[in-house]
Amino acid sequence: MSGIDLSRISVLVVEDSPFIRSLLVNSIRILGVQSVKSVDDGAEAIDFIKLVEENPMKAGMMSVDIIICDWEMSPVNGLMLLRWIRRHKDSRDRFKPFVMLTGYSEPKRVQEARDMGATEFMSKPFSVNALADKIKQVIFKPRQFIHTNSYFGPDRRRQEIPISGEDRRKFTYDSPEVEIVNV
Amino acid sequence: MSKPGVKVRFYRIKNRLKEKAAGLGMDANAEIEFDEDLLSEAEEALNEMAEDYPDWVMSVIDELFEVHRRCVDDEVSRKGYFERINSIAHDMKGQGGTFGYQLITDFAEGLYNFTSSGAGLSDNHVEIIKAHIDAMRVVIRERIEGDGGDIGGELKKGLEQSVLKYNTRK
Repeated sequence: MSGIDLSRISVLVVEDSPFIRSLLVNSIRILGVQSVKSVDDGAEAIDFIKLVEENPMKAGMMSVDIIICDWEMSPVNGLMLLRWIRRHKDSRDRFKPFVMLTGYSEPKRVQEARDMGATEFMSKPFSVNALADKIKQVIFKPRQFIHTNSYFGPDRRRQEIPISGEDRRKFTYDSPEVEIVNV
Repeated sequence: MSKPGVKVRFYRIKNRLKEKAAGLGMDANAEIEFDEDLLSEAEEALNEMAEDYPDWVMSVIDELFEVHRRCVDDEVSRKGYFERINSIAHDMKGQGGTFGYQLITDFAEGLYNFTSSGAGLSDNHVEIIKAHIDAMRVVIRERIEGDGGDIGGELKKGLEQSVLKYNTRK
């Protein structure tokens, strides 16, 4: 078994509660991430991501590898930031791993974040083990992205489950309507 | 150029993060885990930080109390104040349990649900908000951790009775 070395991974924390923010940043640092930046809300996050892309030296971060983001913030909340990352023309990395952190645990909310393209979903209150597990999933179990006319984001099917009845899926990987792009 | 008539695109992305975290020469089947000592250290640090939680959350409860006071004084602007209380309660419910104060999470969840959209704005509603704030203040002042045992049960019962009393009052 090998250990995980996060020293070269950079993380952006987006959280408006100072207490939770400091808790997250400290926990992430102890897990081995050396480059952690935190901002107050989605608008600040967009500004920072643009700065990293345009002037990484000034930003003090060479890239944003993972975003860990609270849902409930003002004026730009976590879902709005996720939409910008996945869909906005100015977003240069639409595949960026995005962990949505939230006190909303209702299935409807989880589905809303998933359908907007969240990579992982972490409920508050969180534990160190949960945080470590989400980071591990993002790094070692990435999913392919899917683009259809109604969805863009990580494959929402996390595992291949055999279908007992009729397979009603319209396409397979070999269908002419399907294109596989290696990025 | 993409093929005509394509309806679904799968993007298979080179895993650069894995290379950063485990190196290029890593065995693809190797089992990768966080070091147990590291996780224990992080958990310990979390517990240490948690010691400051009561002081911090008391300042949030004071803020809730201030917004509640404005609800009492300014009936016209009550809707906006209720939204502010709802937002604060949402944050609180996600935090208490992390720091060992499950009752804060429980009471904040009650307050969050009670002030969610569609909630009434009557004086009785304002009183029920006050009952939630008072219960949270007791939890922190008396440092009632976990479910609070008998005292926690009494607090919950007291809050339920307050809610019932003001909900049925005409």
